[in-house]
Parts: sequence; structure tokens; C-alpha cells
Amino acid sequence: MDKKTRDILITNFLAILLGLILSGIMVLFLKKNPLQVFGILFSSMFRDGYTIGEIFVKATPLIFTALAFAFTFKANLFNIGAQGQFYIGSITAVTVSLLIPSPFAIPLAIIFSFLISGIWAGFIGFFKSKFKANEFLISMMSTYVALNFMNYLLRTTLMENKGEYPQTESLVKSTWLFKIVPHTRLHFGFILAVVAAIIVWLILYRTTLGFRIRAVGQNQEAARMSGVNPERIYILAFFISGGLAGLAGVTEVNGVQHMLLQGFNPSIGALGIGIAILANAHPIGIIFASILFGALHVGGTIMGQLSGVPSSIINLMEGFVMVFVIISYFVRKRWEQNREKKLLKEGI
Amino acid sequence: MIVNLLSRAMMMSTPLLFGSLSEVFSERTGVMVTAIEGIFLMGAWAGFTAAYITGSLALGILFAALAGLSVAILYAFIVVTLKQHQIVTGTAINILIIGLCSFLQRVVFGVPLSPLTVEPLKKIALPLLSKIPLIGTIFFNQNILTYSIYILVPLGFFILYKTSLGLVIRSTGENPEAVDVSGISVSKVRFMTVAASGIMCGIAGAFYSIGYLGMFTTNIIGGRGWIAFAICFLGNWNPIGAFIGTLIFGLAEAFAILMQSNSATMLPNELFIALPYILTIILTISRKSFNVPSKLGTAYIKEN
Repeated sequence: MDKKTRDILITNFLAILLGLILSGIMVLFLKKNPLQVFGILFSSMFRDGYTIGEIFVKATPLIFTALAFAFTFKANLFNIGAQGQFYIGSITAVTVSLLIPSPFAIPLAIIFSFLISGIWAGFIGFFKSKFKANEFLISMMSTYVALNFMNYLLRTTLMENKGEYPQTESLVKSTWLFKIVPHTRLHFGFILAVVAAIIVWLILYRTTLGFRIRAVGQNQEAARMSGVNPERIYILAFFISGGLAGLAGVTEVNGVQHMLLQGFNPSIGALGIGIAILANAHPIGIIFASILFGALHVGGTIMGQLSGVPSSIINLMEGFVMVFVIISYFVRKRWEQNREKKLLKEGI
Repeated sequence: MIVNLLSRAMMMSTPLLFGSLSEVFSERTGVMVTAIEGIFLMGAWAGFTAAYITGSLALGILFAALAGLSVAILYAFIVVTLKQHQIVTGTAINILIIGLCSFLQRVVFGVPLSPLTVEPLKKIALPLLSKIPLIGTIFFNQNILTYSIYILVPLGFFILYKTSLGLVIRSTGENPEAVDVSGISVSKVRFMTVAASGIMCGIAGAFYSIGYLGMFTTNIIGGRGWIAFAICFLGNWNPIGAFIGTLIFGLAEAFAILMQSNSATMLPNELFIALPYILTIILTISRKSFNVPSKLGTAYIKEN
């Protein structure tokens, strides 16, 4: 293991540990024993097969939204609208599955969710390349537009026949993503997410497109000099990024909820950004970071039921971990500089 | 009805002005306060909680300012002192604050059986001025925070363009090396400006909880911090531009509230709720001549 990888592992481990300790201190405010609370947290994660399966169920959409952020991040672009792209993907997936109540709906939902959320996000890249519009602002705002569009559809065209709640009809069983482990909710979507992460890694590090994306990310003008068209890269990077976030819609609609309902998974976009930061935007690292966050969520929900500590402690814990992870970037750089100085001195 | 709409527009512009004006100042030093959404939320929570417990709205605003300041100091420590990435740091802090506010809400209030409310800030009709037809009701029958924007805009403009402090602030974002050479610490200027922005944005957040709704929920801000952030861009990093921008967005928001309560309309409610966000996208695309501070978003690393 080289020194850099070792540094990343050590500092991230410390960041997670510090995040846990600080949230443990917060638990004291509730007059509970943090050690006991964390004991429940960790033991409840692994209490049975079903719960372990839930960890991977929760990790699945997070892998997609984190990949979405990481992909544009490599081109030094900021797609913080993954939440909205996820909603567009969910709308597409539920529409396809309601129109075609047969197993054919699954591949079609995957293809169309990718395409339509890709096009939705591709517009952000297009505005950036054509009008020099700030992609950070537009992607942020597009989430609220997508959310209101979804709420509108759930109240009108897509609303259940009973007309009682803002949600769609349930999908017929043949359009559900099949289970990969019996007696759990773990579905094919997790495999899809892992495959997506590997494909993203291949695109970024083994293809010309990936090379161009990273070149634009490192030095846009130098990339332009060497014949890369950054404007085209903006659109392509946003298209792929949006498509990835859209796939989270398929795994949640066809794999977990089996319907679309209002106010569903409201924070996977933001968590995806945190996971991408934790994983240093590395596609394979994202799989593991997502599983970690998934485990915290599952453990936190059960902990909330068992110990009376509100499950919002999990968001708090994730927030602390993310802040420490960012600080650890600083620590790593310091270590790196010290090593270089030492080498330099020994050389003299 | 028009008078009512415009009066509400003035009111809804208030927190956006607090937010975008502080964003103008910090971005002029080269630091985007991307934690603005979290600072708004923290201010809204602290303001509500202090007002509920003490029964004093003034103490509520004071606590909101302090809470905003603390979040801003954390943000400034990471991006100015440790020189980490501004957008990434802001996102992390925003997630942290959502968790923190819902957790603290539970710690302080438990699970209340009925919604907790405070009496929001009262409108104060200014003597004489409020008697002017139309204008009086729109501009001079508002709460104290709205009145303060009449002072803040010209004051902000004056500080930024007519004082030596303003010159230092503007130079820090354009040419930090020159500021450094003249013996002023770039990091100190940036840190202090972000901290001051935190105070303003904390108060802006409290406007939503205790200035207007009289209650707190964790989705009370709902992207308004980001809209204030956008207004700073759209107003070309100028206090007057920010003022015009906040009036437009205040009007859009007041219009949305009016249309939602008006059931006779043909268009869906959701369209009106999304209106300020759609407006931001359209304006961001159509603005051509931006006057971006040249070192915006980049950390200053001193050459040895």
C-alpha cells in the first residue's frame, strides 16, 4: 500500500471516529448513555439477515447519486441537482411501469430513466456551454422545479384511482426488480449500482472520453489547446451524471417502494455529495462509503425505535463525519508536505 | 389587492436582502458563503427557540445572530484558515445543520402534542409616513427588520465604495497579493467578512420563523438561502443590484402566495411555488455581463 492510500484510510477512519464521538456527546443532552446508545446502534445493524439486507437496500440509491456528483466533479463541474434528477428518473420509471405492466417494463424503465434524467441534466451542461451560465446555481434550482413538477403529477395525472393520497397506484408484481437474497428486501438494483460504479471507473480511467473529462477538470485551457472541446464535455458529463442519478429512481420505485409517493427520499442527493467527498470521488470507494452510510441509516432507525434517541442523530453524525473528512484533506496535505521536506533534507 | 401584494413583496424581500447583501460582501473578498442555507436554518431555529423560551422576540433575533455567527465561523475556519473547497464544505455544513436543528428541536421541545408557536414580529405603522396613500401601506407599515433594509442598502453601498474598509474588501477578492503586500492579512479580512455575513444571515433565517410564520419546521427555509445566493450573482455583486434582485424575488414570492390562496386560477399551484426557482434559472441564463470578483472561490496561498 502506498503512503497516500494509507493516509486516506487513516484520516477517514479518524474522521468517522471523531464524528461518532461528537454525536455521542450530543446524545448526552438527551440524558442517555452514549456508549449504550452506540451499542444498540451497532448491534442492531447486524441483528439478522433482513437488517443486513436493508443496509445494501439503503446504499443502492446513494451509490447512484454519489456517482452522479463524482462524475461531473472530475470535470471540475458541480452537479448538485442529483435530487431533482432522481425525481425525474422516478417519474419516468413509474410511468413506464404503469403503462407496460409486464417484465419488459424493467429494461425500458432503466433505459428511459437514464435518458430522460440525462437530458434534463444535459440542459444544465448546455446552458453552461452556450450561455456560460453558472451550473452550480442552475442545478441547485432545477431540483425545486423537478420536485414541484413531481408533486403536480402526483396530484393530477399520476394520482391513484382512489384519489385519496398524492401517490400513484402500486406497480404490478412483474415490474418489480427481483430479489437477489431471499427473506430480505435486497433487490437487483444493488447489482446494477455496483456495475454502474465499475462502468464509471472504466469510463473515467480507461477511455478517451474519461481522459478528456479529467483533462477539462484539471486545466480547461490546456485541454482546449490539445484539441478537446470543453463545451461538449460539459454537456456529456452532465448527461451521464444526470442519467446515473435517474437510475436511483428505478431502484427506488421498482425495487423498494413499488409506487411513487410525495416527499420520498428527500435527502439522497445531498448525501450523495457527502459520500462522494468521503470516497475522494473514486467510483469504487463510493460503493463502500455508501454501504457505510446505509448501515448508519439502518442502525439509526432501529436505534430510534429502541432507545428513544431521535433518528435525526444519524444526519447529525453524517454531517460531523463529512466536516471531519473535509478537514482531513488538509491534514493529508500537511503530512505529504512534511514527508517531502524530510526527503529534501535527507537529500542534502 | 395590488397594495396588499406589494406590501407583502416588501416583507418577503427582507430576509433575501439580508442574505444577498452579506453574500455580496463576502464574495467581494473572494469567499462564497455556500453554507448560507444552513446558516439561515440555524438562525431560524435559534431565533424561534430563544423567543419561545424567553418570550422576547428581541432575544430571539440576538440568538439567531449568534447562532449564524457560530456556523459562519466553522465555515470560515475550514475554507479560509484550512483553505478547503468552498462548495464541498458548504454542502457538508448544510447537511450537518439540518441534522443539528431537527435533533436540537427534539432535545429542547420533545415531541409536542400541538404545534409550538410564537407571536411573530408586529408591523409598526410609522407616524405620518404610513398615512401617504398607497406608498404608506407598502413601505411604512412593516416590521422592524423590513425597515432596517432601508438603512442597510445605502449603508452597504457606502461602505463598499466610499470607505477604505470597502476598498480593502474589494481588493481582497480582486488582487489579494496587493492586499498582502500592503500589510493587511488576506485571511483576516476574509474570516471577518464571512463572520459578519453569518450574523446577517442568522437574522435573515429568524425572519422566517419569528418575523413571519411564528413557528419552526426543518424545511422552513426551503432553498431561500440559495435564492439569496443567486441574487448576489444576478445583482452583479453590487448592493443596489442585490436590492433590485430581492424586490423581484420578493414580488415573485408574494405573487405565489396570492395565487395559491386564489382557487379560481387555471394554472397549478406547483407552478407558482416553483416560480422563484424558475426565475433564477432564466435570469442566470440570460445575464451576459457578469463582473465576477476575479479570485472568487479560490483560496489564497501565500508564496514563500
